[in-house]
Amino acid sequence: MLEDELLKWKFKRGSDEALTLIYEKYLNSMLTLALGLLNDAGAAEDVVQDVFVAFAQSRRSFQLWGSLSGYLATSVVNRVRDYKRRQRRLIGRDAEPRVYTDRPGPEQAVILTEQAQLLAEAVGQLPEEQREAVLLRLKAGLKFRDIAKLQQTSVNTALSRYRYGLERLRSMLDGEVEK
Amino acid sequence: MKPIGSIEEVIRSKLNVTAGPALHDRVLARVRHAKEQFETTAALREPTIRRMIMKNSMVKLGIAAVIVAVLGIGIVEFLGTGGTSGVVWADVAKNVEASPGVIFRSGGTGLRNPIDDWPNGYRITWRSAAVTRTDYYRGGQMYRTIYTNADTKTVIALFHDARKYNKEAMSDEQVQRARADKGRWTDPQGLLNLCLSLEHHALGQKTIDGVLCEGIEATGPDGSTGRLWVGVETGYPVLAKIEGIDDGKVRHTGTMDQFRWNVDLSAEGIEPEIPADYEPL
Repeated sequence: MLEDELLKWKFKRGSDEALTLIYEKYLNSMLTLALGLLNDAGAAEDVVQDVFVAFAQSRRSFQLWGSLSGYLATSVVNRVRDYKRRQRRLIGRDAEPRVYTDRPGPEQAVILTEQAQLLAEAVGQLPEEQREAVLLRLKAGLKFRDIAKLQQTSVNTALSRYRYGLERLRSMLDGEVEK
Repeated sequence: MKPIGSIEEVIRSKLNVTAGPALHDRVLARVRHAKEQFETTAALREPTIRRMIMKNSMVKLGIAAVIVAVLGIGIVEFLGTGGTSGVVWADVAKNVEASPGVIFRSGGTGLRNPIDDWPNGYRITWRSAAVTRTDYYRGGQMYRTIYTNADTKTVIALFHDARKYNKEAMSDEQVQRARADKGRWTDPQGLLNLCLSLEHHALGQKTIDGVLCEGIEATGPDGSTGRLWVGVETGYPVLAKIEGIDDGKVRHTGTMDQFRWNVDLSAEGIEPEIPADYEPL
């Protein structure tokens, strides 16, 4: 947390090094969040790229307070929603997922273990609000208060969505993944 | 069936995506390029930045203050305060202008991080024409000190909670901004000029911390208000309070108090001191 405070301060002062460190620190978690929300590796890459590009350009307006991971996760969610809206307009329905990588390799854009792939596919089957609540809580560490704000709903509703999401995942994944 | 806690743990620890080296490098290159491009063309986007700034009503007050500062203190001479007060407000403006250094406490509410809301969070600022030192407090503990010197073009930050420091050269833009602070509402002189320039009325007299004061209340075009209390005897500001609404939703307040005017800052510990055990950031 303190490390983030220092990074934010240096970034605000224009440090390239701080920007790179923030990118290194959060690239994979934001990619995980985007992929979980979109169920589409290519779109997740585009979203995460847009988020970091916008972040790099936000130096002057960027506020020093608040959590960095929360800020980036919120940006990912908003970009994902924009992306889905655009897709719906383009094809009149949710875009079909492109592909997950079959086997992890150094040249592949997005690398997932087999287990991660299975989990991502299961999460991808959750209704959108439940998917957001589960991923924002477990992968971005957002508080339910912040999830509720982002979903423009009450804390209780955000909690219920999270609970229902986990129940569904439990029935989908029972026996398929090892802890 | 697995317990819910076990599903949470599996998602937390096993659902991980890693960017391949090609993706990592490609996106990083674009991010760096975007930042570079943004920094070099910032001047061209000034109108956009201005629009962004003007969204915030408190900042609008600040912009107005800058305009007043440009017009000059002389205009203040002709402004009436709408009362038969013992305080001659034009003299207050002169006193503040002539003060070589000032020390004051400031804070606010409605900030994004409530932990920094007044009175839990506040700042003590030492300010002269070119040099500023600000100590940041949270819960009674000082956690950061920032020194800026527009003459030597340096800024030094001490992160007391991390025992680290950072020393950097100031860009011309930063120097300009530091010098313009005296025209902003966050500066006592800027706030005074602002209050006098806007439509305002007298608040009468009251005693603040044992000092008999007279006040005025100014209202900005967007409904933001500033209240300034000046010592009748001394002719210097004692307390300033501002209030504004951001986008009709969040109420912001700001307070400045514990003023010490006419201070020789060279004798007040404004020189940067980096503790020996602090490491560079």
